[in-house]
Amino acid sequence: MDLVRHLECFVAVAEQSHFGRAAAHLGMAQPPLSQRIQRLERELGVRLFERTSRQVTITESGTLLLAEARELLARSEAFMATARRIRDGETGLLRAALSPDIAGETVAAVLADFPRRHAGPELELHELSTAQQLARFASHDLDVGVIHHPCDVSGLELGPVLRRELGVLLPRSAAAAVLDEVPLASLTGYDLILFPRNSAPALYDDLLTTCARNGYTPAAVRHGQGASFVRGLVLSAGAVALGPYDAQPADVRDRNADAGSGVVWRPLAGAPLAWRHSVAWPKGRGDAAVNAFAEVATHALRTTAGARGEAPAGPLHLRPASEYWL
Amino acid sequence: MTDTAARIHAAFAEAGGTGWLHALDIDSGAQIDAGADQPVCTASVHKLCLLVTLHELAASGSLDLGEQIECPPAGRTAGPTGLAAMLDPVRISVRDVAYLMMAVSDNAAADLLLRHVGLDAVNRAMTRLGLTRTHAVHTFGELFATIREDAGPGGAQALTDPHVITRLRALDPARTNRSTPRDMTRLLGAVWRDEACTPEHGAAIRRILGLQVWPHRMASGFPFDDVHVAGKTGTLPTVRNEVGVIEYPDGGRYAVAVFTRTANTAATLPAADAVIGTAARIAVDALRAS
Repeated sequence: MDLVRHLECFVAVAEQSHFGRAAAHLGMAQPPLSQRIQRLERELGVRLFERTSRQVTITESGTLLLAEARELLARSEAFMATARRIRDGETGLLRAALSPDIAGETVAAVLADFPRRHAGPELELHELSTAQQLARFASHDLDVGVIHHPCDVSGLELGPVLRRELGVLLPRSAAAAVLDEVPLASLTGYDLILFPRNSAPALYDDLLTTCARNGYTPAAVRHGQGASFVRGLVLSAGAVALGPYDAQPADVRDRNADAGSGVVWRPLAGAPLAWRHSVAWPKGRGDAAVNAFAEVATHALRTTAGARGEAPAGPLHLRPASEYWL
Repeated sequence: MTDTAARIHAAFAEAGGTGWLHALDIDSGAQIDAGADQPVCTASVHKLCLLVTLHELAASGSLDLGEQIECPPAGRTAGPTGLAAMLDPVRISVRDVAYLMMAVSDNAAADLLLRHVGLDAVNRAMTRLGLTRTHAVHTFGELFATIREDAGPGGAQALTDPHVITRLRALDPARTNRSTPRDMTRLLGAVWRDEACTPEHGAAIRRILGLQVWPHRMASGFPFDDVHVAGKTGTLPTVRNEVGVIEYPDGGRYAVAVFTRTANTAATLPAADAVIGTAARIAVDALRAS
């Protein structure tokens, strides 16, 4: 008996509570589906469903087996994915991704260190946003990646959360440009340049809320992402942008560089804003290659991008509508 | 995907999360399916299953809803409302404990009732009603104990760490109390059509569901004095749910089940609460237009 195929039938009938609908869902005819269920029941010696003329109900025994059947199917899918990965490359291929804002030095360090750390599969590195990475995890087209928080982490395993503190890009002529550290409140009067909201709504809202809480509510938010477009807006449109130190060119980030570009980068006082990253991979699909990538990427972020572990969280005041209490 | 389902998914994304919805016109059977068969963690939504079970047992004569029960302060399940928040001994009837469980999601009340009837009775009642994908594996006290255990020494504050969130058994439908949006509208439909129990008990369940105090989720999507909203919420870190019934003055009545996960791990996220109302409204408007 092909256990996996029979379990697929069991789960489909349990989910649809109907042989016809389950058969349609599986793309097969109803009689062979009924036969498979009967065969499985015989093989297990357990009655899985009660059948009446009008409907099918799962038995208590069936309910007890259902969760494990789903788990087995998920594991078998992961097994096939690993086999595909091994088949597709001579020694196998690890499909990994970094988000587009990761600095060149970090990308280079990952590419250089991975083969040193892990002799197994070849690294195929992609530039993908967090949303794209999550979609490819779900479709089994990506093995591991460096994502931005906050994002929906259900079904994922994560490495430690790392912070890349954000500074501000502002015109050299701005009053705040002479400061060593710029308080957010001193940016009042400037518009803010941010990525488009729909690419990461939770992160976007988080950034604006933190700016407002620290005394900076921009009159307008302008959307831009490309380095030269952002630079142009900062130079002549009365706007400032946010970004980590490691992602800036040397003439912008170094205090003592010649006044060539007209745009300067300064840290924010109190480091209220950060990109928060971690390495992520689908639950149950972590293997030696994934673990090696996680170590290499975490190390690269720490050494080339100055990323640090998170400070302990502040107090948490759960309100009554939270419904839970620890 | 239908246009309505796409708009519902877009609303969840816009609010910074993911969600699954099923809406059912209780009388015509018309439906909106936006992930209706997704396995979800019920959290406090499971209190609805317990309430229906109590009334089934009462209807069959094996439980007296008027029976007075003692609730000493020691051993009460923790929570921010109702008996869970009170300091002194309480003597109260079964049905008033059920009212507290539903109106303010009182965790101590829920576990008091679960001790009275047992988890198995709840699961049996749900199976009898044809809810094949709804199952309770632990009491509320046990559920919170898994969270405390998984959160580790950092306590409640650690629950904003995404790394901790991925470890919580309470957020994995395979390992906690679970259901699907479709199962929940099936349950509400049965209650509203008086198929779950006798009309007298059905009316009592509907009364209590109409007394829930929270205005921030499903009810927020229906800012109309002449529309009646009855429901039960459920909340855990990154999980926000509500299932309920919306009744219009022209007689239209709609069971809606909404289950969501947020990307942000913060406990206070008003927009994530409100999108449950927004999504329910998109679904009900579509059902009423068809």
